[in-house]
Amino acid sequence: MSDSPTLVDTTRSEMLKFRTVRATFIGLATLVVLTIGLAVLITIVIRTNWNQRSLADKLAFDPVATSLAGIFFAQFAVGVMGARFITAEYASGAIRTTLTAVPRRVHLVLAKAIVLLVTFFVVSEAVVFAAFITGQSIYRSGHLPSVSLADSTVLRAVIMAGIYLTLLTLIGFGLGLILRTTSVTISVYVTILLIIPIIVNFLPSSWQDHITKYLPSNLGESMLSQTPSVRSFAWGTAALLLAIYCAVIVAVGAVTLVRRDA
Amino acid sequence: MLKIDHLSKRYGETMAVDDLDFEVTPGVVTGFLGPNGSGKSTTMRVIIGLDRPTHGRATINGKTYDEFKAPLREVGALLDAKALDPSRSARNHLRALATANRIPIKRVDEVLEFVGVASVAHKKVGGFSLGMSQRLGIASALLGDPGILLFDEPVNGLDPEGIRWIRDFFRSLAKEGRTVFVSSHLMSEMAVSADQIIVIGRGKFITSGTVAELTANATGTVYVRCADATRLGEVLGALEGVCEPANEQGLNVSGLSSDQVGEAALSAGIAIYELTPQRASLEDVFMSLTADSLEYGHHDAGVAP
Ligand SMILES: Nc1ncnc2c1ncn2[C@@H]1O[C@H](COP(=O)(O)OP(=O)(O)OP(=O)(O)O)[C@@H](O)[C@H]1O
Ligand SMILES: [Mg+2]
Repeated sequence: MSDSPTLVDTTRSEMLKFRTVRATFIGLATLVVLTIGLAVLITIVIRTNWNQRSLADKLAFDPVATSLAGIFFAQFAVGVMGARFITAEYASGAIRTTLTAVPRRVHLVLAKAIVLLVTFFVVSEAVVFAAFITGQSIYRSGHLPSVSLADSTVLRAVIMAGIYLTLLTLIGFGLGLILRTTSVTISVYVTILLIIPIIVNFLPSSWQDHITKYLPSNLGESMLSQTPSVRSFAWGTAALLLAIYCAVIVAVGAVTLVRRDA
Repeated sequence: MLKIDHLSKRYGETMAVDDLDFEVTPGVVTGFLGPNGSGKSTTMRVIIGLDRPTHGRATINGKTYDEFKAPLREVGALLDAKALDPSRSARNHLRALATANRIPIKRVDEVLEFVGVASVAHKKVGGFSLGMSQRLGIASALLGDPGILLFDEPVNGLDPEGIRWIRDFFRSLAKEGRTVFVSSHLMSEMAVSADQIIVIGRGKFITSGTVAELTANATGTVYVRCADATRLGEVLGALEGVCEPANEQGLNVSGLSSDQVGEAALSAGIAIYELTPQRASLEDVFMSLTADSLEYGHHDAGVAP
């Protein structure tokens, strides 16, 4: 038998595992349907009601963000998929077989993270571009203001939407490594994305200005935004911060995996 | 060579494994025997790096499990046959393991064929019976053609034909010079499948040896019928024998050999009518060895399990 396996072999093994269960394809289909489906739905609703809008509304209209709004629904699908990539192994006990084949646990985390990063980057980008193009063509057909990818800030926003989904997949994965059970992980994930923003809303507004912009969902909005406001981060800073959250959570997950008995 | 080196493992208050220290040699089937909860599975989990030892270590040819980059080529283990992703097919499960350890994919089909699950290799393992899962687990253990094999309660879920198959299979693995380490909580199973037995109870080492040695060392009881059972009882009691009246004239003596009982009776001048050593059965041996260490034992001895 040949020489020692490397991270490449571990990654190939994890990729094989990822694509040999049906849940993967159901999850990816959900991502596609939510992102593109909501783009269609939202843009058609806007097109239908366009003439009822006030001038101020029309001026504030953001054709990019509205066509990409589906990502704020799809973020739950990708988070669950990222989490399940590890928590499903705990649920079935398959994690023990996995660790028997790959006892270098940091290796295992890296391999799984690479599989998610590559797959979800490719699929998310494809999906957000499709959502964007669909949305713009719906606007164009109604003679609404539309934008094109030739505009570099628009192109950037669309790419960022895909990166947002990719990073959230990895956040779900990192939480799954730490928490191990699918249901607990999903609860915490939903709490971070939905509940904490609601709680922050009840804080004094002077605090809110300092806290809100750091929340993952707000970072996502900043990443898509063409015109940064004083209350939020510029797209680059927002993307970097979210990437740091993601790296920290996955790193804590890796340490948890290394420290605890399987 | 598999070496357990002053190994201890504590879970909270429970000392699951308590200073185990032994070696498992190649070329024979070594049985790992202990009642429920005695720490067999824990020891196996530590050997393959799933659980961290509290003290000591387990080494394979001098290295701990996590030092191997391709561990499946060194050690094959079947601990929990149902610990598989139920929605993946048997073949894909093995392909993933083979890929991670750079084992040629053709080996996957070889082992599937060997354990007799090739015909269902494309079916999801969630639908497998326990016996089929066991066979698939054996296939995973064999995948890397390892020199050391660990099996935790492998006969669970197998039908009589499967049990015979697996016994012969262990023997043939040992004959090829491999180290074969098999756990069980049944002495009768070990007696037919293992050459060498290591007995543990409550995480502690109790004894080891061949089946013959274990039975020989355990003194059975001696039945003696004589003219004056009461007085003989006193005489034997002074020699540290434990006597239980069996009937009006008879005693069951433990702790003394039949020779010692006969000689004691002669010097006390008590006529003996009958003197019979009662050979300990394997289960008796096991029960007496582990009596002090039963975790979940049947303490009401009158009830047959
Ligand atoms: N993960 C764990 N957490 C807490 N206690 C544990 C854990 N695993 C095992 N134990 C305890 O450690 C002891 C040894 O358990 P182990 O499973 O190793 O025994 P065993 O010899 O394999 O038993 P059996 O014959 O029932 O399979 C038991 O008291 C058990 O309850
Ligand atoms: Mg056990």
